[in-house]
Amino acid sequence: MTLKTMVQSLNQTLDVLMAENQNVILLGEDIGKNGGVFRVTEGLQNKYGEGRVLDTPLNELGIVGMGAGMAMYGLRPIVEIQFQDFIFPAFDQIVNQIAKIRYRTGNQFSVPLVIRTPYGGGVRGGLYHSQSGESYFVHTSGLKVVTPSNPYDAKGLLVSSFESGDPVIFLEPKRVYRSIKSEVPEELYRIEIGKAALLKEGSDVTVITYGSMVSTVVDTITKNRVNADVIDLRTLLPMDIDAIISSVKKTGRVVIVHEAPRTLGMGAEISALISERAMDYLLAPIIRVTGPDIPFPYIYEELYLPDERRIMDAISKVKNY
Amino acid sequence: MSPIGSLSNDQILSAYENAVRSRTLDIKVVNAQRQGIIGFHVPSEGQEILQTAIGMLLHKEDIIFGYYRDFSLLMKMGIPVSKILDQMLGNQADIEKGRQMPDHFSFKEYNFSTIQSPVGAHLPLATGAAYALKYRKEEGIVVANFGDGATSTSDFHAAMNFAAVFNLKVLFICENNGWAISLPTKKQTVADIYRKADAYGMPGKRVDGNDLISSLNGISEAMDYVRSGKGPYLIEGVTYRMGAHSTSDDPKKYRVDEITDGSDNDPIRRLEKLMLSMGMINEAQISEIKRRAREEMDAVIEERRKIPKPEPESIFEDLYSEPAWIQEEEKRSIL
Ligand SMILES: Cc1ncc(C[n+]2csc(CCOP(=O)(O)OP(=O)(O)O)c2C)c(N)n1
Ligand SMILES: [Mg+2]
Repeated sequence: MTLKTMVQSLNQTLDVLMAENQNVILLGEDIGKNGGVFRVTEGLQNKYGEGRVLDTPLNELGIVGMGAGMAMYGLRPIVEIQFQDFIFPAFDQIVNQIAKIRYRTGNQFSVPLVIRTPYGGGVRGGLYHSQSGESYFVHTSGLKVVTPSNPYDAKGLLVSSFESGDPVIFLEPKRVYRSIKSEVPEELYRIEIGKAALLKEGSDVTVITYGSMVSTVVDTITKNRVNADVIDLRTLLPMDIDAIISSVKKTGRVVIVHEAPRTLGMGAEISALISERAMDYLLAPIIRVTGPDIPFPYIYEELYLPDERRIMDAISKVKNY
Repeated sequence: MSPIGSLSNDQILSAYENAVRSRTLDIKVVNAQRQGIIGFHVPSEGQEILQTAIGMLLHKEDIIFGYYRDFSLLMKMGIPVSKILDQMLGNQADIEKGRQMPDHFSFKEYNFSTIQSPVGAHLPLATGAAYALKYRKEEGIVVANFGDGATSTSDFHAAMNFAAVFNLKVLFICENNGWAISLPTKKQTVADIYRKADAYGMPGKRVDGNDLISSLNGISEAMDYVRSGKGPYLIEGVTYRMGAHSTSDDPKKYRVDEITDGSDNDPIRRLEKLMLSMGMINEAQISEIKRRAREEMDAVIEERRKIPKPEPESIFEDLYSEPAWIQEEEKRSIL
């Protein structure tokens, strides 16, 4: 095993998937010669040729739509949208086509398509290279939405997404692309879609998070010696409801941390699910620590992103309620 | 009417000076980026002459929808370098309050609309602005600039079609610099860009965007057409991206054989040669213009970088005409 960044882990996973299955095709902007602006597809066009790693014209609707057509007719495309911020031209294809095709054809067709895209802030990307748009997709039944928080999970989740048979929005936290390394086995392995990870165990409070915020949360909990369950959701749609509820029943106190704006963010859905299923176990109001409801500003990124101070404030509020 | 017959030596010289000042600012900003003073930059190097030509032909009331690589146009429009730098630094004097990445300008005061990152997304807005001009019987036309990559977007298609269907005064100008990050134009589209106009029922013309005279001729003909109310027009200005896509890009990955010092395609050198051969200028004057530009840019950067950041509260402003409770509450809890 070797230590890998998330970029290296994803690259190696794509490589193995392509080697094992002739039908795997990659599409995206600047993914061929350039290896992707974040280098996730580096070297793959050289190895597999221009017929399997397609540098497309600049049109996200075209990338996703063409990928969906390939998927309906026997190929196994994995497409890249250069930044999640630029996925919106493809939103009609995602919401009105790929999410509904299995349903509207009575299961005659399916769209086994993985849409990989970097998301989140912290790289001085301003309004249009920083957004966390998971809620737009989680609101759309027919999709699966996955987000790894570390290089190991990135591989296991990408393999499961690829094999899931359904369209998957695979959100890659770009802030974590190179900032952490983990041991990543060479061979393929799977992390089940819909299963969260319990990263830390404790009895005082449940902290629920995912993707780009996981390492901040874990560092905060460790440094401040909080006796907490830390749940990394890993899949946002469908969520691991059992992991959430069993932890809440144990701790009775919940803090939800995400980078996306508060209003109708994942925190809203998680809070509703908990209050429907475990109201009697709650010892304090559920508190969300999130990005504010503003576009992601170029300056003051550090104010936008949830940090140790805001997470610890929320934890002490629920503990001292 | 061709402007060339009437183009004075002073006009040519001032075009040249504009291009040199723009190039100098590009170089200084890239240096500032390397030193961590400015976060990011998309240089216009190689596209100065085409952009300068556009600027020379604009009327005061024309509305410009530019894109993120339009330094020379901004400067020719008379937008002060200090204001350009304030935006790039995201300081307190930046009218956008530091919210956008460098090169994403909005200068309503100068009739320069607003730049977004998503490629092509301004083009439909340009048609709306042109309809507003028409409906309110106002003077002026709309000029929309964009790259070769933008011609692949759905926004481009929508805007071209709408502009033609509603017979709008939009001049579309594609700054074809040969590249969209790593994708050469021939892989972006198999067709000639200027001929796409045909499909929408408007005239299209290709100009040598590295040549001042060719650019001025083509653009002024197109502007006459649009101003007269005959409908929209597409200009393809063939230029050359001399450097990297941006300060985050490494062109060695995809441009191995292509990368040169740009000398054959450098529009500034071409204009210099022309002026020298016409005896309009000598080497000493050229050096003096370049020296003055360096001095000017150094001084402005030094001055503007001293201006502090906007107040942190400002990130919660300007979502709506009136503040809403959501942002007010979040401001209190975060600051
Ligand atoms: C909708 C969208 N997709 C992808 C990107 C990422 N991106 C930024 S610039 C660029 C290339 C644009 O090329 P072109 O239109 O030729 O303009 P140039 O940068 O060459 O001036 C790409 C793909 C983006 N900004 N917007
Ligand atoms: Mg280009």
